[in-house]
Amino acid sequence: MRLRTNLYKIWAFSARSTLVNRRNVFAVFEMLFWPLIGVFSVGLLTRFLNLQADTVSFILIGAVTMNTVQIAQLDLSYALLYSVWSKSLKHEFIAPVSLSHILMGSGLVGLVRGFLVFILMGCLSVYFFDMDLRRPGLEGLTFFILGMFFNAAIIGALVLALVLRFGQRAEVAAWAFSYLMLLLCGLYYPVSVLPRGVQFLAQLIPLTYFLDYFRHFYGFPAASPHPLLYGFGQSVIYLILSYGLVSLTLKSAYKRGTLLRLSD
Amino acid sequence: MMQAVIAAQGIGKGFRTGGWGPVKQVLRQVDLTVAPGAIFGVLGPNGAGKTTLISILATLLRPDAGQAQVLGLDVVKDAPRLKERINLAASGAHFLWCLTVEDNLRFYGRLYGLGGRALRDKVARLLDLFGLAEYRATTFERLSTGLKQRLSLAKALINDPELLFLDEPTSGLDQDMAQHIRAEILRLNRETGVTMLLTTHNLREAEMLCSEVAFLKEGRLISKGRIPELQQRLGLGDHLSLIFQDSPAPLDYGALPGVLRHAVEDSRVDLVLDRGDERLPAILEAVYLTDKKLAKVKVKPVDLEEIYREITH
Repeated sequence: MRLRTNLYKIWAFSARSTLVNRRNVFAVFEMLFWPLIGVFSVGLLTRFLNLQADTVSFILIGAVTMNTVQIAQLDLSYALLYSVWSKSLKHEFIAPVSLSHILMGSGLVGLVRGFLVFILMGCLSVYFFDMDLRRPGLEGLTFFILGMFFNAAIIGALVLALVLRFGQRAEVAAWAFSYLMLLLCGLYYPVSVLPRGVQFLAQLIPLTYFLDYFRHFYGFPAASPHPLLYGFGQSVIYLILSYGLVSLTLKSAYKRGTLLRLSD
Repeated sequence: MMQAVIAAQGIGKGFRTGGWGPVKQVLRQVDLTVAPGAIFGVLGPNGAGKTTLISILATLLRPDAGQAQVLGLDVVKDAPRLKERINLAASGAHFLWCLTVEDNLRFYGRLYGLGGRALRDKVARLLDLFGLAEYRATTFERLSTGLKQRLSLAKALINDPELLFLDEPTSGLDQDMAQHIRAEILRLNRETGVTMLLTTHNLREAEMLCSEVAFLKEGRLISKGRIPELQQRLGLGDHLSLIFQDSPAPLDYGALPGVLRHAVEDSRVDLVLDRGDERLPAILEAVYLTDKKLAKVKVKPVDLEEIYREITH
C-alpha cells in the first residue's frame, strides 16, 4: 500500500513533466532542433577540416554528450521551475510529497528524453558522419550513458537547490551549469589542453572520466587508469552531497518563507 | 471535551528584511484554539500576519517560537503525517497554465497517493461538485477567474481534508462570484463537517461565514471569540434611532432595559442596545405610553466593522 502510494506520487511528477513537454513547442525544440543543429554544425566542421575518422568520433561524442546531458538535466531542473513559474509551489509542498518523489518523478522523464536524444544524435552521427557507435560495445555504451545520466542528475539537483534558495533568478542556472561543466570536462578536446589549474577542476567532474572512458574505444588513451571507478565513485559522492544540499535548502525554505514568497 | 482541531500557543515568526537586514517580527505570541467543525475567521488588515499564521498552521512555514498542534499533530515534527489530512485554497488561484482542469486535479490527487479508479472517481466527483465538468479539458490559462477559484477549492478537497485552510478565498472575485464561493464554503462545511480556518480582510464575509473570529493587528492576536461575545465584551451593540415628530419623549433612556449608551439631539434619540431584537418592543411601548409621536424608527445591527474599528483603533 505504502509502495503504491509512493509510486503514484512519483508518477504525478513524471506525468506532469510529460504533459508539459507534449504541450510545449520549446520542448520539441529542445529534443529535435538543438540536437540536429549540434550534430550537423560539428559534423560539417569536421568534414571541412578533413579530420581522421577517429578524431571525428572524438568530437561528435562531445556534441552527443552535450545535448544528452543538457536535456536529461532539464526535466529535473524544471521540476520546481514549473511550480515557480506557475506560482503553485505552496500547493505542492502542502501535499505529503518528499524531495525523492520530485527527483525520481522528474528525473525519470529526463532520463527518457535524454535517452531519446542520445539515440537520435547517435543515429545521425552514424548515418551522416560515419561514426562507429558499435565499437565500444553494449557494455561501453551502457556505462557511458549511465555516466551521462548521473551527471545530469547532479546538475539537476544543484539547480533545484538554487531554485529553492533564489527562486526564478536561478532560472539561468538550469542552462549555465551544464555548459560550464561541459566546458571543463573536455567536451571537444582532451583535458590536457586546458590550463593546469583548470585541469585540476576537470578532474573533479565525473563526466571527464566517462568521456575519457568512452573515447578510449576510439584510440585515445584514457588519462586516468580507472576512469569508470573514478567516474562512478565521484558521481555517487556528488549525488549524495547534492541530495543533502537540496534537503538543507528545502529545510531553510520552510524557515525563511521562500515557498510562500515564490507562490506570490 | 472535544479535542481542538487547532491548538497554538505563543506562535512567533520574524523575517529578515533584505539579505542581512534586521528581523521584522510578523507574528508575536499568538495563541489560537479552533473547535472541530467550525469556520474560524482570522481577520486583520494587510500585513497583520494572517497569511503567515495560516502558513505555519498549514506546515508551509516553520515558526520561530511557540508550538502548534493541528489535528493533534505537531506542525513541525509531524508535518508529513499532518499534510495527509489538511489542504489549502488560496486567493488568486495558481496552477500550471498548460494543464487542463482535469490534469491539474489528477496531478494533485496523485500527490496525495490516489491512483487508478479511486483517482478517476474522485476527480469526476469534484468536477461535478464544482460545476467544472464542461471545462475538464480546458487549460488553466483559459479559465475565468471564478472558474480558477472553483478549481482551487476542488483541488483543496482532493484528499477529503479534515481541516481546510482558506486564504482570502474570494479576493479578486466579482460580487456574484464571491457570493457563489461563499455559498459553496458554507455548503461544504454543512455537508462534510470539515473544519475551516479562513483569513480575510472582508468583514462582511467573515460575518457571513464564520462562527468565531480572531483579530490580528501588527502580528498580535488582539481579540477573539464569537461575534456576539465580542460585541458584549466591547460594549458594542445594535443601534436604534428614534426620530420624533417634535420633541423626544421625556424618558430616562439610560435606565431603559438593555441600553448601553444613549444620545439625545433635537428630535432624535440614538440608543445602543445589547440585543436590539429583544429590547425593541419594550422600548417602543415605553415611548408609546408618553404619547409622543414617532416619525421614524431605524434599527442597525452591530457589525464586525464596528467591532473591528473598536479593537484596532
